[in-house]
Amino acid sequence: MTTYATSFAEREFQVCVVSHLVEDSRTYWVAAGGGPMYAVLLAKRVHAPNAVYVTEDGIIAALPKLPLDPLMSVVSPRPAYRALMWTGMNTIGDHCSVGYMDYGILNTLQIDPYGNINSTWLGSYLVNGRRVTGPGGADSIAAMCWRTILMLDHQRRKFVSRVDFISSAGYLDGSPGARERVGLPRDTGPWRVVTNWAVFDFEEKTRHMRLIAVAPFVTVEQVLDEMSFKPLMTDSIEVLEPPTEEELTILRTGLDVRGQFMDASPRWVERHGEEWVLIPKEEAARERPAWI
Amino acid sequence: MPRQVKILEEGIGEYFKVDPDAFRDSVSKKSRAMEPKLMDEHEAISRFVQDGDYIVWECNYLQRGPSTLIREIIRQKRENLWLAGKFTWVTVALLVEAGCATQADMGFFFSGPGINRAILEDRFKVYEYSNVVMTARLRAGAMGVPFIVVRSLAGTDGFKYSGAKIIEDPYTGRPTVIVPALNPNVALIHAHQADIYGNARIFGPGISDAESALASRRVIISAEEIVDTEDIRHNPKSTTIPFYVTDAVVHVPFGAYPGECGGYYASDTDHVMEVFSALYTGRIGEYLEKWVYSVSSHEEMLEKRVGTAKLLELTRRAIIKEGWKA
Repeated sequence: MTTYATSFAEREFQVCVVSHLVEDSRTYWVAAGGGPMYAVLLAKRVHAPNAVYVTEDGIIAALPKLPLDPLMSVVSPRPAYRALMWTGMNTIGDHCSVGYMDYGILNTLQIDPYGNINSTWLGSYLVNGRRVTGPGGADSIAAMCWRTILMLDHQRRKFVSRVDFISSAGYLDGSPGARERVGLPRDTGPWRVVTNWAVFDFEEKTRHMRLIAVAPFVTVEQVLDEMSFKPLMTDSIEVLEPPTEEELTILRTGLDVRGQFMDASPRWVERHGEEWVLIPKEEAARERPAWI
Repeated sequence: MPRQVKILEEGIGEYFKVDPDAFRDSVSKKSRAMEPKLMDEHEAISRFVQDGDYIVWECNYLQRGPSTLIREIIRQKRENLWLAGKFTWVTVALLVEAGCATQADMGFFFSGPGINRAILEDRFKVYEYSNVVMTARLRAGAMGVPFIVVRSLAGTDGFKYSGAKIIEDPYTGRPTVIVPALNPNVALIHAHQADIYGNARIFGPGISDAESALASRRVIISAEEIVDTEDIRHNPKSTTIPFYVTDAVVHVPFGAYPGECGGYYASDTDHVMEVFSALYTGRIGEYLEKWVYSVSSHEEMLEKRVGTAKLLELTRRAIIKEGWKA
């Protein structure tokens, strides 16, 4: 029997939503460490044991030894444990380039209505603002996986009509064939955007981001208020299920055992009777179970 | 009648000069003799890394990277280096803030206030690629060809600030992205084992160890262990890099410190936090003083700054051995 959780971090909710999108016996190229990897590992434990994931450091289909050391998520024995193959970055790129990677899962800082994402520069490039990490492997994941799932925090400054810098390609200007015209593999592109509050897809004709589901603890109005462009909307917007107790137990005892991921969550969510209450991050520290 | 290949679009980024025949010439001058190449890190960097070089390193300062060699470059105050900044975390920031580097081809690096200022003040130039595109460029360099086709990068703003081009592919007629081959002056690679001639073994997954070695004019291998050549011959499938590619072998146990070296030792978590904190608060100078300038060698750093207790702890934490040996 499914028992829904009544107390969780928004970011835990987000990982559970992404994990629900993970299909069994499909291949995933995930950003190493953090939300993308947790989502696949969670899905493998709950409903998709044969989902396969690879990381850019050449690890194919590992059964990682958990928990991972903080920051040691790549070229490292624990995440590489019991893999089917150890290789290098060019080979992972080849596997994706020829079409073996069904899905990519990425974290991102800033997104536009066509799913173009920025991880290079916040502000005016080389003029003001600041350099961030650069795409890492994300450019290749977004270009060559058949479908890409993008994760980001639901904040107005992150949903912008134009990203400061396109680090990884979405549907570019949204025109038909825009990706193919610059040489990217056909029939690829962003597929879902999952935040701590909502899920979006991209409408087939316009390639414009479209709201399809919201978290049970926020309204559609709240979701739209925290975006600086207006997404398209499906006729009936689904209300997502909260995480189950089983999912949270796996996350907290197996994956995020140090609570680092949970710590970075914007808010804590609690159910009081029929109402959901959002608790700001600063106060949420008190609300955590004592064992974390 | 000659026909022209159409260039549909091109980036404005400067790129390290591509010249496969000049690269072959430099390879032709390397000794093929199986002769001992063991030397300490000071000699390896003095002899094989020059001001203005383009350098590539494998993995990074925190993960089976040539951390000792990177610190030695900083200690010897090399200048005007051009960095292959793929899959790198803090290494670029260390080299830039130490005054060693003035430009980089980027895939991924953590930025901080110091490096940000250097970019805005144009003291540090960045050309935009991505990790996989950079390893593709190294693969082209390792193939001895001038460019390689990739199926990514196009459509991004990174493309505009790179040396990439979109051409009409003469075979399919379709738009196709090409990037320039990369033949660095120097590759710095940390291996688990090597013999004194430079036959090197790297265990576990990796980024582009073999490609970087083959693509570079000079190759410095630092190794956790020196093994007998007979040992190498007993398991030739484990050889990642053959001796004739290697110019120097530096025997440095804990050569990836403060990073992890799979199967050998774990990363020093406190040190990792220290270097990240220095990066984010603009105190890389203090970090370098403590870990690089105030000690004369790797050995002195281990002795005075790390200590036996810590080294034993890191070794004890490396409990997974399966697959991390020949």
